[in-house]
Amino acid sequence: MNSLHTYLFIALVLFCIGLFGLLKRRSLIGMLISVELMLNGAGLNFMAFNRFLAPDPAVGQVAVLFIMGIAAAEAAIALSLILALFRKIRSVNVEQARQLKG
Amino acid sequence: MDPVAPNGNELLLALLAMGLPLLSFFLVFFVTRPWVNLSCAVSLVCSGLPLSAAVWLLAGHWRMEAPILWQLTWMEGGGALVTFGFLLDPLSLLMLVIVTAVSFLVQVYSLGYMAGDPGKAKYYAFLSLFAWSMISLVLASGLMQLYIFWELVGLSSYLLIGFWHHKFSASQAGKKAFVMTRLGDLGFFLGIIVLLLNLGDLSILGLNQQAAARLTPGLLTASALLIFCGVVGKSAQFPLLTWLPDAMEGPTPVSALLHSATMVAAGVYLVSRLFPFYQGSPQALGWVLVIGTVTMLLSSTMAMVAEDIKQVWAYSTVSQLGFMLMGLGAGGYFAGVYHLATHAAFKALLFLCSGVFIHQYATNDFFAMARAGARGLKVPMLTLTLAGAALSGVWPLAGFFSKETVLAALAELPNPAWLWLGILGAGLTAYYTFRLLFVMWRPRRLEPPPEHGERAGHGAHEGHGAAVYWVMAAPLLVLAALTVLLGAAGPALQSFLAWGRPLPAGAHHTWLVWASVLVVATGAGLAWLEFGRAGAAQQGFLSRMPGLWNLFANRWYLDWLYRWLLDHVVYGLFSRLFTLNDRRVVDGGIDGFCRATLGAGWLFSLLQSGLLQYNLFTMVLVMALVGLYFLLV
Amino acid sequence: MTPVMGEYIRPEAVAWAAFILVTALTFVGALIAVLPRNIIYNVFGLATCILGVAGLFIFLGSEFLAMMEILIYIGAISIAIVFAIMLSQPMHVQIPPAWRPKLYLSFAVSAVVFVAFSIIVLRTPWEVALERGQDWTVRRLGELFLTRYELLFELISLALLVAIIGAIITAAALGGGRKSEGGS
Repeated sequence: MNSLHTYLFIALVLFCIGLFGLLKRRSLIGMLISVELMLNGAGLNFMAFNRFLAPDPAVGQVAVLFIMGIAAAEAAIALSLILALFRKIRSVNVEQARQLKG
Repeated sequence: MDPVAPNGNELLLALLAMGLPLLSFFLVFFVTRPWVNLSCAVSLVCSGLPLSAAVWLLAGHWRMEAPILWQLTWMEGGGALVTFGFLLDPLSLLMLVIVTAVSFLVQVYSLGYMAGDPGKAKYYAFLSLFAWSMISLVLASGLMQLYIFWELVGLSSYLLIGFWHHKFSASQAGKKAFVMTRLGDLGFFLGIIVLLLNLGDLSILGLNQQAAARLTPGLLTASALLIFCGVVGKSAQFPLLTWLPDAMEGPTPVSALLHSATMVAAGVYLVSRLFPFYQGSPQALGWVLVIGTVTMLLSSTMAMVAEDIKQVWAYSTVSQLGFMLMGLGAGGYFAGVYHLATHAAFKALLFLCSGVFIHQYATNDFFAMARAGARGLKVPMLTLTLAGAALSGVWPLAGFFSKETVLAALAELPNPAWLWLGILGAGLTAYYTFRLLFVMWRPRRLEPPPEHGERAGHGAHEGHGAAVYWVMAAPLLVLAALTVLLGAAGPALQSFLAWGRPLPAGAHHTWLVWASVLVVATGAGLAWLEFGRAGAAQQGFLSRMPGLWNLFANRWYLDWLYRWLLDHVVYGLFSRLFTLNDRRVVDGGIDGFCRATLGAGWLFSLLQSGLLQYNLFTMVLVMALVGLYFLLV
Repeated sequence: MTPVMGEYIRPEAVAWAAFILVTALTFVGALIAVLPRNIIYNVFGLATCILGVAGLFIFLGSEFLAMMEILIYIGAISIAIVFAIMLSQPMHVQIPPAWRPKLYLSFAVSAVVFVAFSIIVLRTPWEVALERGQDWTVRRLGELFLTRYELLFELISLALLVAIIGAIITAAALGGGRKSEGGS
């Protein structure tokens, strides 16, 4: 449990589950949740490097805090967009938002 | 001999001559156009001052020993140097005086001729532009600069020929002049490019001194012939000669300018300017000789049947230009230039005289003029006779001496045929000139003069009266004096043009003088028999030969030939091919490209399903695969 | 981890058990966040997963971050998502069954990414820094935020502000639209 690889793989699995959800889910809210998972995977990576490799343990934490801030902003924007889309097409199903079809 | 830089005085005078007419053009065209008299005054001052400058320069350098060169670098690169400036040597000084003198006299004359014309101010602006172009052409130090002004001369002559543009034939004639000279200029420009690529030096002195040594004979001949194409167009030589007679549609003073000193003279001037260059290539000189001869004979025959007084002089100009080129082609540098000078004087005089008659009687037909009492106008009639005599080469007028010089140059050629053709041309010239003179002097029956001219654009208003008449007559007298005096100035001019060195001892052919006098007398006598003597039918022997008459009157069917070439070769062959090419290749290509684009767009639009997640699939997959590629390979 | 416990339960075993617990929480939560078609379950899955990640942060030595993680993700983002669900009423909307090939495709793509990153993780020679600081305190974090990372800190604050204003405007601009659509 105390090795870099363990944490990296946990983060990777988390990331890939998030990616899978992002690709699979048709609900925009579901996609947003998946993106949060991916961001968490990335944050976990930072903390793992911070714990095992980095010269200054504070730097990784700073990075993770930034990721959290970005995630919060992203969530706010995404949710308002989802609301807007819902009011437009009465659905949050991304497969029904096809105005850009060629 | 190496050129020297001008001193301040020379620089000022030359720049004055080159700049004032342009200044006048802009002033008149953009500022003073509404005030006609002011415009005329500006224009006159700005053509009079260059004349004084030119005369001053000529007098100051009468015994000059080295050309004066002033030039600025205009373009430089790739071993090529194009300069801008002026070159003063005997030839350009002489030509400068001729150009400025004739254009000044024409401007004075136009005061009367164009009186009352609504476009008089514009006309003066164009005259200034014309003078500026020609002066700058004459003084040009390099071929590129010369070419620019060469084209400007073409432009301004277009403007002036088509001056009465509301007259359909005038605008047509302007266009014809422009297009036909442009054909020749194409060759000229190609020649310049050939020289620029192979020599890298377009200065006239450089070309004259080094071209023969630095170019292969083939290239030299090719470039000389290409440049000569421009001469053929500009000087209305065979086969591009028919624009000049049509150019009669312009106001008569313009014709005088066009025919004597500016437009057409530019061609002959160019050959003289580059004479040492041409001497490097005997083949090119041979072509000059041939073209000159053919042109001279063809247009002389055309003049024999023309009934329009300006047409006669136009054909005669073409033939005299051919005669100058014969002289140059035979190696007679001085012969060509001298004939150019004397011709400028008496041809300007002929046109200006004709202008008086046309102004007075509102017709171009000299039979009609004669019937209307043309011989009553004493000054124009006498000067016309003088100039006509000079044209046909009667002793002791200028034309006689210059013609003898040219014939002497032709006599130097090994093949005597050229000489006989030249003498034949002289005889034809005498015939058509005296035909016109006799008709004018001895009209068959007199009619009362018509009340008022009906010519479009300007009319012969009796109200102008004596003032107009004398404004127009004064230049005639000046030119008549020149016509007489230039004959005596021959030897002096010859030594001037030869940089004051002793003249080459050419054989003096006494028999030649007698032969040509005899031929001229024969021509004149024939004209007397048919037109001059009491009871003559005034029809000419050609009217009994309808075939020849038609041939000559239709200009040897040259226009018809152009039409045929245009219809069958250009329209029928090239245009058809180009149209096919346009439709099938160009349009088809573009259409195909459009269709391909549309089809490709349709194909790609299939990818745009509007489903966000498939885009994500692709994006992620590609990034992952690229990452794998860099990791594993 | 006191010596008292040590006689029966070894501290290492406890740590192992805790580690396995948080890891399992993370994975199970992530799967719940992704797999079920009911969106409310997904949100709970996300919250569970966040709890697991917070536990991992503790294992990685930063209690502060674990706290922030729970605070931000569960306290703010999850709640916002629940609000979004309530406002957009997706519960009423019938979601058609998934299209099978898309499921497989998603899985395949994720697997490729997993393989790619695994190779990176395994093949990279990770090197530990020569000198390693031991200052894990929050004070140090605060100092860094106000000194070295001040610009970034400002920027992220600005980004948050802009995001919030943008979100409000996006939602407000469509408020009128909602009125016009009636009380649906």
